[in-house]
Amino acid sequence: MLGKPSRTGRTLQYLALAAYLIFLGFPLVWLLSTAFKPPRELVQLHPTLIPSNPTVQNFVQAFTEQELGRAAWNSLQVSLASAVLTVLVAMPASYALARFKSKLGTLALGWVLLSQLFPFVLLIIPIFLVLRQAGLANSHAGLVLIYVVWALPFALWMLQGFVRNIPRELEEAASVDGASRLQTLRRVVFPLLAPGLVATALFSFISAWNEFFFALVLIKTPELQTLPVALARFVGIEGTARLGPLAAGALLATLPSLIFFAFMQRRLSSGSLAGAVKG
Amino acid sequence: MTTLRVGKPHKARSDKLTIYLLLLPSLLPVLLLSVFPLLRGIYLGFTDARAGRNVDVTFTGFENYKELLGDEMFWNSFKIGLIWALGVTVLQFVLALGLALLLNQQLRFRGVARVLSVVPWAMPPVVVGILWKLVYHPDAGLLNEFFHRIGADGLRANWLGDFSTALPAVIIVGVWAGMPQTTVVLLAGLQGVAPELHEAAAVDGASAWHRFRHVTLPALAPVIVAITSLDFIWNFNSFGLVYVLTAGGPGGKTMLPMLFAYEEAFRYGNYGYAAALGNVMVVIIVALLAIYLRRRLREAN
Amino acid sequence: MLPIRFRRLAAAAAIAVVGVGALAACGNGGDDEASAGPVKLRFLSLAWQKESLQANKDLVAKWNSEHPDIQVEYVQGDWNSVHDQLLTSFEGGDAPDIVHYEASSIGEFSKQGYLADLKDLIPADLKGQIDQGVWDTVTFDGQVTGVPFLLESQVVIANKKLLDAAGVTVPPADGGWTWDEFQANAQKLTKSGQYGVAWALKSPTNRVLNLALNYDGKFFYSDGGKTEVKIGDAEKEIPKRIHDMLYTSKTASPEALGMSGADTLPGFFGGKYAMLPGSVSLRQQMVEQAPKDFEWVTLPPVKGLSANQAANPQTLSVSADSKHKEQAAQFLSYFLNPTNMATLAKGDWLVPTGKQANEELVKLTEGKQGWDVAANSAADLTVAPFQQADGYPEWKTKYATPALQQYFANKITLDQLASQLVDGGKQVLR
Repeated sequence: MLGKPSRTGRTLQYLALAAYLIFLGFPLVWLLSTAFKPPRELVQLHPTLIPSNPTVQNFVQAFTEQELGRAAWNSLQVSLASAVLTVLVAMPASYALARFKSKLGTLALGWVLLSQLFPFVLLIIPIFLVLRQAGLANSHAGLVLIYVVWALPFALWMLQGFVRNIPRELEEAASVDGASRLQTLRRVVFPLLAPGLVATALFSFISAWNEFFFALVLIKTPELQTLPVALARFVGIEGTARLGPLAAGALLATLPSLIFFAFMQRRLSSGSLAGAVKG
Repeated sequence: MTTLRVGKPHKARSDKLTIYLLLLPSLLPVLLLSVFPLLRGIYLGFTDARAGRNVDVTFTGFENYKELLGDEMFWNSFKIGLIWALGVTVLQFVLALGLALLLNQQLRFRGVARVLSVVPWAMPPVVVGILWKLVYHPDAGLLNEFFHRIGADGLRANWLGDFSTALPAVIIVGVWAGMPQTTVVLLAGLQGVAPELHEAAAVDGASAWHRFRHVTLPALAPVIVAITSLDFIWNFNSFGLVYVLTAGGPGGKTMLPMLFAYEEAFRYGNYGYAAALGNVMVVIIVALLAIYLRRRLREAN
Repeated sequence: MLPIRFRRLAAAAAIAVVGVGALAACGNGGDDEASAGPVKLRFLSLAWQKESLQANKDLVAKWNSEHPDIQVEYVQGDWNSVHDQLLTSFEGGDAPDIVHYEASSIGEFSKQGYLADLKDLIPADLKGQIDQGVWDTVTFDGQVTGVPFLLESQVVIANKKLLDAAGVTVPPADGGWTWDEFQANAQKLTKSGQYGVAWALKSPTNRVLNLALNYDGKFFYSDGGKTEVKIGDAEKEIPKRIHDMLYTSKTASPEALGMSGADTLPGFFGGKYAMLPGSVSLRQQMVEQAPKDFEWVTLPPVKGLSANQAANPQTLSVSADSKHKEQAAQFLSYFLNPTNMATLAKGDWLVPTGKQANEELVKLTEGKQGWDVAANSAADLTVAPFQQADGYPEWKTKYATPALQQYFANKITLDQLASQLVDGGKQVLR
C-alpha cells in the first residue's frame, strides 16, 4: 500500500510486525507451556517457559471430565450457523441502508447504536423469557437466533460503511449495460463487499464461539452444552482455577477460530478487488 | 441521491419495495429479541422495578434521575469510564491501523502473521482474565519476571494493586483484547482503496506519507468512523475483563460505569435504578458520538 | 419484577418468533416434564475440584440407583457466574430444584422469595447435627432457606522450615496463638527478602468483618428494627493490627494486598512469605502444588478476646418454584448424612457442619494434613450481624471495600476509614 520501501524500511517493518505479534500472540505460547505442566510447576516464583516434567495429564483430565470434544462440536455447529446466517441477513439489509435514504433506515441505524449502548445485563432476562416462551430454550436454534440478532448491529454498521465505499459509478455503469438490480448486486457489489463480509463472518463466528452467558442459562441438557460453559467449570472460587486442564481446554478452544480465520484471511488481500473490478 | 440517477421515474416504487424486501429477513427476530427488550429496558428506567417474586412495579417518572443526579459515586465511575473508553479506543485505533497497514504489505509469512494477530480475540474470555492476572502478578508475574531477567528490577511493580498503575494496566489489557477486531476491519477497509489512486499519486511524485495522508486515509474514512465509534461504545460498555482483574479496585480506581450498573441490577436487584443509569449513559454517549460523527461526516463530504 | 402483563407480552412475542419459522423448526420445547414417570430433580452443584466433583457425582449416581422414583440430574455450575445464572433463571421461572451456593449470598434470594422455607422439611437428626449458630446464618425473616454443609474457617498455613529456623514452635491444634503472639512471631520470621506474613486482601471486607468477631467487632447494630453501622474500638482492632503489620513492624508484605488467597502461593513456596492467614481449603493447593521438599503446617485460628469467626457456610437450597420440594428435601437429607457430608468436605478440604461428620472425617484422615486444626476451628464459627443486614452487599462493594483498600494502602487514616464506613452505612441503610 505504501509503495516499495527501501531495505532498511523493510527491516523496520519486520521488526514492527514482530513486536506486534509478540504483544498479541504471546498467550498462545503461555497456553501451550501451561497445558503441558504438572500442578507443581504451575506455582513458581520464577515461571519457566519449558515444562521440566511435561505431562499430557491435563488434556486427559480436561477431556474425560468435561467431554470437551462434544462441547466443541456443539460450539462449532452453533458458531458456523450464526456466521452464515448473519452474513446472509446482513448483506442485503446493509446494502439497503447504505444506498437508500428512508425512515426505516434512520430507525435501523438508531437501533444499531442503541442496542450496542444500552447495558446488556438489563436485557438478559426479557430475552431469556421470550426464547423460553417460544420453546427455544434448551436448543441450539435458540442460541443461533440470539447470536445472529446480537451480531447484526455490528454487521449492519460495518457493512453499510463498506457499501458506501463502493463507487456508485460502478453500479450505474452496470445498470447502463442493461444489468438488472440483482445482477448488479451479484456481479459488482458482492465481490467488492467480500472483505467486509469476511470481517463480519469472523466477528459473528467468534462472538458465538466465545459467548458464555446465554449458553449457560438457555442450555440445560448436558449433551447440548457449548465449549465456554464447559471451560468455565475449571475455574473456582476467588480467582483460583485448575490451570492445567483449563489451559489444555483453552488451547482447543482457541484453535478453531484461528483456523477459521486462516481460511478466510486470503479474502482480505488486495488481489480480490482488482480482479473484481475487471471482471 | 435517493435512487440511481439512471432509473426511470416509475422505478421509485419498486425501489421502496426492494428496500423492505432487503430488510425483511432481519426485521422480525430483531424486533422480538432486541427492540422489544430494549424498549422495555428503557421503560424500566422510569419505574421502581426490583428483583423478586411477584413484585409490583410502579411508574415513578423521573424519581430515579433525581436520585442519580446526587449519586456522586456513579459520576465518579462515569469519569473513569470515559478515560477508559477514550484511552482504549484511541490506542486501539492507532495501533490497529499500524498493524493493518503492515499486514497489507507483501511481507513474508503474511498469512501466519495475520492469524497470530487475532489470537486475543480467539482466546476464550474465561482464560483471558486469568492470563492477565498472571502477567501482572506482583511476585511471579510474567511482566515482573521479564524486568527481572533483563536486570531492570527497578521497573517491577504491583501493577493491578497500586493506585496509580491499576487503570493504565487494565487499559493495556483492553487495547490488547480489542485490537484484533479493529485490525481486521481496517484491513478489510484497506482493500477498498483503489490501487489506481495510489499509482496515480506515485506518478505525481507524492511521498509515502503524503499518499497515506491524502489517498489512503480519505478512502478509509467511512470504515474508520464506523469502527472507532463502535469501539468507543463497546469499550464504554465492557466491564467483564476489568471485573475479573480488579473488581473495580483498588479503592474504586477501576470502577467502570457498566460495572456499577451491573452490580446495581444483578447484585442489589435494583432494576429500575440500573435501567435509569443505562438511559443516562445512552443519552450522554449518543451526544458525544453525535458531535464526533457530525464532524467526521462533514469532513468526508 | 415480572408482572403478569409482561409475561403475556413475552408469550405473544414468543409466538411471533415461532412464526418466523425456519429457525425455530428444530426447537424442542420439551421444557415441562410429563406428570407420569419418576420425579425429576435438577441439582445445580458448584463442586469443581477433581475429588469433590467425583464425590458429588458418585453420591448422585448412588441415590439414583437406589431411588428409581426420584431421579436427580446433576448439573455443574461455576462460582463466578452462579449468581447471575440463578437470578436469571429465578426471574425466568426456570430455576433448578436444588441449588448449591453460600449463606452470605442466598440471603438476597431468600428475601426476594425465590427459595423455599425448609424448616419443616428437614428431618430432626440432620437439624440436630448442626450448631444453632450456623443455622442462624441461613435463617432470614424466620425462614430457613438453605442447609449449611461446608464451613470455611480462617487458619494460618506456615512454612515449617522457616518456623524451625526462627525458633518458632508450632502450637497444638486446640491452642492457637493470640494476636500479640502471632504478630511477635511474624516479627521473628521477617528478614531481608522474607516477610512473616502475606495478607491476601483483594476482597478485604468479608475478611476483616469475619476476623473482627475476634474482638467482638459487630459493625452492624440493630435497634428496634433500625440497623446502622457503628465503628468503635472493637471494630477498629483488626484493621489496625493488620495495618501495623504492614507499615509499623513491616512484617506483612504490602504487595500481597491486592492478591486473593491462591495468588500468594508462588511467594509462599518460594520462601518469600513465612505464614499465610487464609482459608482451610488452601491445604488442597499445598498437597497438590507445593514443591516436593516443601514442609507446611496448619496453625489454629488466631485468638483475640475469642477465636470467633463469622461462618459463611456453603449451602444447599430448594427453589420456591420447585414442584417437588419434599422429594428434594429427601435427597438433601440423604446427600448430607454424616458419612456423605464427610466425603464432600474431604473433597473440598473444608470443614463439615455436622458434628458426626466432623468426627468421622478426623478419624478417616487421622487428623493429618491439618484436619485436626480444621475440625477444632468449627466450634468457633458462628453468625455475625453483618450477615443478617439488608443492604450489606451494597455497603460492601460501594463503601467498605474501597475504604478498606485505601486504608490498607496507607492512603487514609483509621478515623477516616471509620467515618467512611459509617457514612456508607447511612447511605445504604436508609
